[in-house]
This record gives sequence, C-alpha cells and structure tokens, in this order.
Amino acid sequence: MSLAGKLLAGILILLYVPLNVFGWDWQTRVTVIVRNQPIEAVCNILEKEYGIHFSYSRELVNLSRKVTLTAQHQRLKKLLEDLFAPDDIRFTRVGEQVVLVPAQRTTRTISGYIKDAVSGESLIGATVYAPALKQGTTTNQYGFFSLTTVKDTNSLFISYIGYGPHLQQVTAKGDLWLNISLQPTGSLKEVVVSARENKLQEQTQMSKVKLSTTELEAMPRFLGEVDVMRTLQLLPGVGGGMDGAGGLYVRGGGPDQNLVLLDGAPIFNFSHFFGVYSLMDANVVKSTDLYKGAFPARYGGRLSSVVDIATKEGNMKAIHGNASIGLIAAKFDIEGPIVKDKTSFLISARRSYPDLLLNAAIQSDNSLGPNGDFKAFFYDINAKVNHIFSRKDRVFLSFYKGEDNLGLQQTTNDTAAISGLHTYKGVTSRFKMSWGNTIAALRWNHIYGPRLFSNITLNYSSYTFATQYGHRYIMPVLGETTDLFGKYSSRMENSGGRVDFDYRPHPRHAIRFGAITTMHYFKPGNSSFENKGTPVQPLDTLNTSLRVVGGELSLYAEDDWQLNPNLYANLGIHASAFLVEGRFYSSVQPRLGLRYVLPRNWAVKAAYTHMNQYIHLLSSNGTTLPTDIWVPSTQRVAPMFSKQVALGVAKTSSNLKYEFSLEGYFKSMHNMIENAENNNITNTGATRWDENVIVGKGWSYGSELMLQKKKGSTTGWIGYTLSWSMRRFPGINYGEIFPFKYDRRHDIEVVLMQQLGEHWEFSASWHYNSGTPITVPVSSYVGTGNASPWDPGTGQPVIDRYDNWNNYRGADVHRLDVGITYSKQKKHWRKSWNLSIFNIYNRKNPVFYYMESDPVTKQRYLTRVTLLPILPSITYAVKF
Amino acid sequence: MNKVYFFVGTILLASFLQGCEKRESVTLLYEGNKIVVNTLIQPDSVIYTRITRSVPSNVLIDGNNTDISGANVQLLEDGVPLASPAMQTIKGTAYYVSGSKAVLGKRYEVRVAVPGMQAVTAMDTLPGVPLASAAAAQVNSNRIRFTLKDCPTANNYYRIRIYVSNPDGNDGSFWQFRLDPAFNNNLVDFFTQGASNSLIMSDERFNGKEVNFVLQTNNPIAATTQITLEVSALTYNTYQYLNTLTTQLRSGEAVISQPVRVFTNVANGYGIVGGINTKKLVFKAE
Repeated sequence: MSLAGKLLAGILILLYVPLNVFGWDWQTRVTVIVRNQPIEAVCNILEKEYGIHFSYSRELVNLSRKVTLTAQHQRLKKLLEDLFAPDDIRFTRVGEQVVLVPAQRTTRTISGYIKDAVSGESLIGATVYAPALKQGTTTNQYGFFSLTTVKDTNSLFISYIGYGPHLQQVTAKGDLWLNISLQPTGSLKEVVVSARENKLQEQTQMSKVKLSTTELEAMPRFLGEVDVMRTLQLLPGVGGGMDGAGGLYVRGGGPDQNLVLLDGAPIFNFSHFFGVYSLMDANVVKSTDLYKGAFPARYGGRLSSVVDIATKEGNMKAIHGNASIGLIAAKFDIEGPIVKDKTSFLISARRSYPDLLLNAAIQSDNSLGPNGDFKAFFYDINAKVNHIFSRKDRVFLSFYKGEDNLGLQQTTNDTAAISGLHTYKGVTSRFKMSWGNTIAALRWNHIYGPRLFSNITLNYSSYTFATQYGHRYIMPVLGETTDLFGKYSSRMENSGGRVDFDYRPHPRHAIRFGAITTMHYFKPGNSSFENKGTPVQPLDTLNTSLRVVGGELSLYAEDDWQLNPNLYANLGIHASAFLVEGRFYSSVQPRLGLRYVLPRNWAVKAAYTHMNQYIHLLSSNGTTLPTDIWVPSTQRVAPMFSKQVALGVAKTSSNLKYEFSLEGYFKSMHNMIENAENNNITNTGATRWDENVIVGKGWSYGSELMLQKKKGSTTGWIGYTLSWSMRRFPGINYGEIFPFKYDRRHDIEVVLMQQLGEHWEFSASWHYNSGTPITVPVSSYVGTGNASPWDPGTGQPVIDRYDNWNNYRGADVHRLDVGITYSKQKKHWRKSWNLSIFNIYNRKNPVFYYMESDPVTKQRYLTRVTLLPILPSITYAVKF
Repeated sequence: MNKVYFFVGTILLASFLQGCEKRESVTLLYEGNKIVVNTLIQPDSVIYTRITRSVPSNVLIDGNNTDISGANVQLLEDGVPLASPAMQTIKGTAYYVSGSKAVLGKRYEVRVAVPGMQAVTAMDTLPGVPLASAAAAQVNSNRIRFTLKDCPTANNYYRIRIYVSNPDGNDGSFWQFRLDPAFNNNLVDFFTQGASNSLIMSDERFNGKEVNFVLQTNNPIAATTQITLEVSALTYNTYQYLNTLTTQLRSGEAVISQPVRVFTNVANGYGIVGGINTKKLVFKAE
C-alpha cells in the first residue's frame, strides 16, 4: 500500500470510530415497540439497536414502571421526553451516553381566595384547575385554595356553579398569591342541587350533597317559606317525620344522631314550630353540606349525619337586602360593607305573625276575659360581622337567636256564670311555653404560608325549654281559693373551641388536622310546684339541682392522597375522649375513603367510617319535641357508636350537564336507647333516666340512586332509595328484631325546575315513600279492676292486646308540590311573587292512626288521620 | 286591603289545618281465640272469677258478648284443689264464685279449660293489709287526708280510690281525684290537671316511712257525706296489671307512640289472677 493509501485508510479508520460512536443525535428516528415492559427494557432496546447507552444510578432513578409503547420512526428526543416525563426523570447527553438523573424537585405553590365579584363573598368549593398539568384543587370552607405543583403552569381555570368560569394567566415563576373574583351568571337558577361543584369522579368524598341558597330558593314552598330541612328531605337517603315534620332521619338513623353545625357551632334543636320549619331563614344560608356517610375525620360526635351550614359573610361592596312576606312569616335581611372591602355586616330577622291577627280578634270579642292574651309564634335573628385585617388574617363574629313561644292567659270575672256555689270555678289561668337556641361563634382565619391555612373557632350554643302554668280558682260557698303554680325547664349548653389546619404540601396530598374541645353543660328537667292555697309542705320534690358538666376533646387528621394517576385515598382518624362525673370514655375512629377512576371517567368509591356519640336525647315517644332533653352517657348507658361501610359509582358527564351516582351502604348502631315499655319519661326525675331506658342496637342498609340534570332551562333530579332499618332491644318486643319507626322500604323523589322565559320559573317536586310501621292490636278482651262484683264501679274495661312492635305498615305517602315564581327587575330592586301549592292533588297522607269504635255497627276501625291536605300559599318578596 | 288579605289567609289556613279522617279497609291481625281469666283475690272473701274469651280488635266488646259457656274452672289453694266454684250471675254478669273464703298467707291458682281452646293457668299470693289510718276531710273542702305507714322490709304496692255513699245508703261511683299537685310531682298530671278515679303507686318514694297523703277531689265534700277511702295493698302481679291497664286506658286509642302492653300472668291466655288486700276507711267530713 502506498503512503497515500495508508493515510487514507488511517483517516477512514479514525473517522469510522466516531461515526459509529456518535451515530445518533436527538433527531435520530427510532422504532421501539414494547408491551407492558419496564422502562429499562426500552433503554436496552435503544442501546442494542441504536447504540444509545444510558447511564444512571439505580438508587436515584427508578426505571421499573411498566409501559406499553408503539413508536414508529419517532424522533429520539420526543420519545425520551414522553418516556421519562411521568417519572420526573431528566436526561442529558454526555459524550456518547445519555445520563439519567431525577428532576430537580422545585415546586411552586399558588394560593389565594376565590370570591364573588359582586358581593365579595368567598366561594366554598370552587374548582381551581391547571389544564396543562391536569392538576387541580377546590377552595375550602373559607374560600381559600392552595395548589402546589412540581411543574410550571401558565394558566389556571377557575369555575364555580352559578358563576362564569375564569381563565387566569400565570406568568410569574415561583410561589404566587391570587385573589380571584368570579362573576355570577345572570340567572342563578340553572342548577338546582349539586352533589359536587366539580365532577363526581374527581372527588374521593362520597355520600355528600351540597345545597346553595340559589338552589333552595327554586324549590316549591311550604306555606310560603323556603326551607333548608325540607329541601334536604328531598334527597336520597334522607327522610322526615310524618308530613316532613319532626327532624331528619338519615340512612335509618334517629333524629338525635345528626350533627347540625351553624358556622361551626352545634345546634341542639334544628326546627321551629314542632319540627315543621328549619330554625333559620334560608336567605342567609350560603351553603349547606350534608354528609350521610364517609364522614371526614374533622367531624365527630353524632352517628348518622353531618349538616354543615355556612351563613353568608355580608356584602363587601354595597348594601343589599331582601324582604318578604308569606302566609306564615315575614322576614328581612340586609347586608353591606362597614368599610368597603374590609368589613361587612349581615343582619336578618323573621317572625311568624298569624297569632297577632288571632290575638286581635280575641281581644275584640273579649273571649279570654279582661287582660286575656294569646301568643303562638316563632322568631329568629342572625347577625354577622366579618373583618379582613390583612391578606393573612380575617375574623368572623356571628350570632343567632331563635325561639318559639306559646302563651295563653285567661281571666273570668263574670260571677253570673257561676252555676253552683258548691262548684269550683276558675278565676285565672295562665300558660306559657318557650324554647329556642342561642348560638355564637368567633372565627379567625390565618394563613401561615401559601401551603398552610388555619381556622380557630370559639363557639357557644345553648338550647332552653321552659314552661310554666298557673291556675287560680275558687269555691264560692267557702270563699276558698286555690292558687297553683308550677314551672319546668331544661337547658343544654355547649361551649368550646376548635383549631383546624389545612396543609397542602404536595400536589398529591391535601392534609387537614386539628383539635376540638367542647364543654357540655347539662341541666335537664328542673321543676317546682307550689300550691299557694295550702300550708302543707310537699311530700317530696324532684331533684331541682341536677347539673352535670362534661368535657370532650377530639383530635383528628386526614390526608386526601393521590396514590397513582387512577387511585386516590382519603385516610383519616378521629380520636376523642369524654370525661363526665368521674367517668372517662374514649374512642379511636378510623375514617377511610377510596376512589378508583375507571376508563370513560367512571369512579368507583368506597368508604368505611366509625362515629361516636357521647350524649343521648331523651324523647317521650320517639319523635323530636321541644320537651326532649339531652343527657350524657352514664355508667349504665355507654356512648353510642356506629360503623358504616359504603360502596358506589359516580360520574359527571364531560359537559357537566348530568350527574349520576349509585351507592350502597350498611350501618350498625350500638348503645342506642329506647324507652322501656310502659314508661313515660316525664313521670320520673331526670336523675334516674337511665333506669327507665333500654340499651340496644340497630342496623340499616340500602342503596341510593341519584340522576341529576344540572344545566339548561330544565333542571332537576330523580332520587330513589331502597332501604331497611331495624332495631333490637332486650326486653322490648320480646327481645326480637323489629323495624324502626321510620323504616321506609322505597323512597322516590322527583324534582323539576323549568325556566319559562325571562320572568317566570316553574318548579315541582313529587315525593313518594312506602308506608311506615305502626303497632296495631292483635286482639281485645275485657279486664277487671275489682275484687268483688259488689264493689262500686262495675264497668269492665276493654283491653287491647299488643304483640310485636311495628307489626303493620301504614298507607303509602305521596304528594306533589308545585310553585311558580314571577320576578321582574326594576331600576334599583327586583320584585317577585311566588305561588306554591303543597299537596296539589290533595292526597290524604297519614299523620297518625287510631282505633275508632262504632257502637251502631259494633265494629272498630283503624282510622287514618290527615292533617295537611292541599295548601296554597303566596309570597311577595323584594330584593335590592 | 292588607288586613283583608291577612284575615282571609288566616281563615283559609285554619280551615285547611282541620284534620280529616278516613277508615282503612284492612284486615287486622288476630292472635286467635284465647281464654281470659280475671280475678282479684281478697283475703277473707270468696273468690269471684270471670271467664271470657278474646276477640279480634275490630270487634266492639259490648256487655257480655265475650262470655264463655261450659268452662271448667278449677281453684287450688297452696296446690290443693278446692271445691269447684259455682257459676253465679251478679248484676247481669256471670262469675265463678268459690265455696270458701281466701286466706291470707295462702297461694291461689286458677286453671281453666274450655273445649276447643288452649287451657290456661295463673297463680298469685295475697298481700298483707295496708296500714292506712286517720282518714279525714273538712266539710266543703276538696281535700281528703290520711296516713299510710309503709313496711320497710319489702317492696309494697298500693291503690287508692274514693267513693261516697248515696243518700239511699248505696255506694256511689268512684270519685275523680288526684294527689295534691304540690305532692304529686308528675309533670303531665300537673299541666293537664289530670284527675282519675284511682291512684296506683309503688313505695319507691316513701319506702318504710309513715306518710301523710293529701288527695284533692274534683267535687267538694258536703257535711253529711259518708266517704269511703279505699286503700289496697297489691301484689307485684296486681300492681303491674292495674298500672299498665290504667296507662293503656289513659293513652286512648291513638296509634302515635308505642302502645302500652297490659301485663298478664295467665299462661296461654290473658287476664289477671292477682292478690289484693283492701282496707276501707269510712268517715264523714268534719
């Protein structure tokens, strides 16, 4: 070989090596096809086929994730980006090698408040979503959000039902604070009830429903009143007493098992007018969250449900208000800024007024005598002040007082009416009864940093029942006067504080933790009786000094955790302790929730929760009445506890028009109390109440279906519940299982809203439930009261023989309520007329039954008594 | 105009809220015919036993339409059969009357067999005489006082009733009365001013003590009235029966809360075989 030939060959050899080594670049097109192989296998193929060597530390870089890849002639860089991005693996070329290192975990946090642009009210549960990252969060109960992400984003999409969505450009790097205002849409009536603000499949929480004020206002009204409790009863899994009165019965639980919170303070009696209306004006309610199961760890203290009511904060921009008058009550509310964008107030008041008209009539015809008086009304007032100290600090002070009053005073001075000198004649009688709640709460929101939010609440809540009776009468022949006076009262108070932290350390974790402390003051059943006409001292007296103080402390923590792109968990624990009269009770309650997102965006959810309840409600006949008293657990009656498991599927359609959820549940309830047979609680002193009750347990299970249309001029939902609720108490019903008083096999709710042009809106709700159980006699026979037939009073009493409890099903209950609203915007205000008709086809639904005797046919009949036939009502309201 | 609207609304509301009733056309459950035995056994008195049968609860019991004929009634004293009781009709009602008087300290059992029905049996003892004394009332007042000394060693049960003799010397019906409200402490009775013609109680609140009772009658007491205050000691069975019976009768026929089951100690049947010991304090108002 010539020298030139050798040189050329040497150059070619020298050139060959680098061409071989550097035979690839980022634009090299590669073909890789693998199925369910680890990433490492892809690297091996690239190394083998294209000589691309990978260098990495197995301790730092994990290539075990299995992938399925079909890349035909794809650019190398694009392939590696797609391959490594989900695991945050960074790659770079160093010489002939591709070096893999874990991406630098530089995170950023975007936090802030979402508010109503018009009123400045913070929006609870608004969605904040970064479309490019497919990450999002929701605002908490105070409108605060915190979104921490490991990647940069350039836009956020913020949405909330009833408000126009907002696209927020995010240009700055690093942590960011945002205050975002959403514009309310013109008509807020598009959505009636929303199980979630965002899609169901994006929430691990199940068994929860949210109502907002605008949703409540669209419902048909009962005697002119919009009502929170009655609207909740239209949801699957929730029932009321007869004709909707008498409290909430959630998933087979009793009315004493509902934790009702008003701005964080517990309420003992949630109703006015013997359970017919909710305790507060719906106009001041911002949102109502109902949890039927899957209880988050931050709630505790009751077995069956949590109703968390948040009232409006008060408009920060301008003075606004509402006033209305209906068939039963008149009310108003006003809100506005004290210092614009800094301090706001809200005041509302409501009073029923039919007694004023009746009293006027009574006074005019003197039917109750001189100074006669009649009262029967309820009222409630709300006041709230809200002040923003700084971006990080905000304080709310709220107060509620509501009361029901009954009073009758009668005098008779007309001696001509006395027919016999030997007969006692009443001179005066007076009767007074009142009951109500007083609630106050002071809350302080503080933001420690973009990822840590806290709320501290001090609250006070009391429920008082008081009644007194006076009767004065004379016997003219003697001039003897009897003057009786008696009074009875009971009181239950709670005062406490709680601190809640909301911590968002990582996109995959939303952590809440906190502590709750409550002092319970029980003062049940205080009575005194006096006969001013006799010098004889009473035989004995009830214990009038019973006062019990109990202390309760709870700690909780929960983490909403994304385990992988399709699997989410809510892991929580609630630990509580109760100390009363030297006795100590404690419990650790797991709260677990799981969500798995299936293809086509269906979510399967499951939950398992324990709940504990340290206080018991003593009720005379199983329904809630103002006379009911709360008492703490005793040596004989341990705290109640329940275990509930729920499983369901849920989906919101991609256009957010339709929601579907199907849930099944099983709940066991332990240490529940029931009056011992043949015992009347009011006959004995409150000190010995636990000797007169029987401790037992209950079970409930069933399924709930909800199909809802949320958008468009026609909205509404169909709800169906199939359920069973049973009880077992030793010594009652021979110790055998019997159906709960409100065991309703089928329950159907159909709710429809129809927008009719600009001014008219029509709404209708149809309710059906299968009959509730009652106990009817299984035979009759004669009894006796005398040892000898020669004794006076030879009448033979007739005895009804009762066997098993709840051995008969009453008639099915169904009812159609409709309402139509006309509203018109004036220059400065808006007026509306609402005509509602309750029970439009006049179904005679049973309230109770009795055995009617007919001496002509010599038969007795089971007779149904109906109280609420068709009831129209009209309401006039102005809004400014 | 507003006033007219309010009044029209109120009247409409009041009229709508009037309850309406509807008879259910249903067949009620029936446990089947059972023998009913009723006897309260008083020491030093013959034993009057009434035998009837149960009927479906939709049948109105009126008079003697549940009487059973052909019943075989057997009385046993401390397990020893007594002579068969004879059937007598007293004031229009059939009773099986024993041939001998009941004796304090003995246990009595009643066995009844009727063809086609399940035989029944029940037994009880007799309580001691109650230590009631010093009954008195003032003319034209409405209060009757008496003293009751309770035995501390046992749970005791009492029934109190009052009746007044008519001018013809016959006994009148039982009076309505109540414990003086200042003594009663029963919230419901107090507010409803409830009076009844018997007071049934245990000695829970005065066990072993001598207690002065003040009873307030619905009617004033006239000067010439002869009053009988009937204080009865009851066995536990009798107390349970009378207490539940009174509670059921007071609760009426409404099926709202859980109904009251009337106690029975008759095996395979209904009714009561119970001991009672009545002391009658007869006096005139002072």
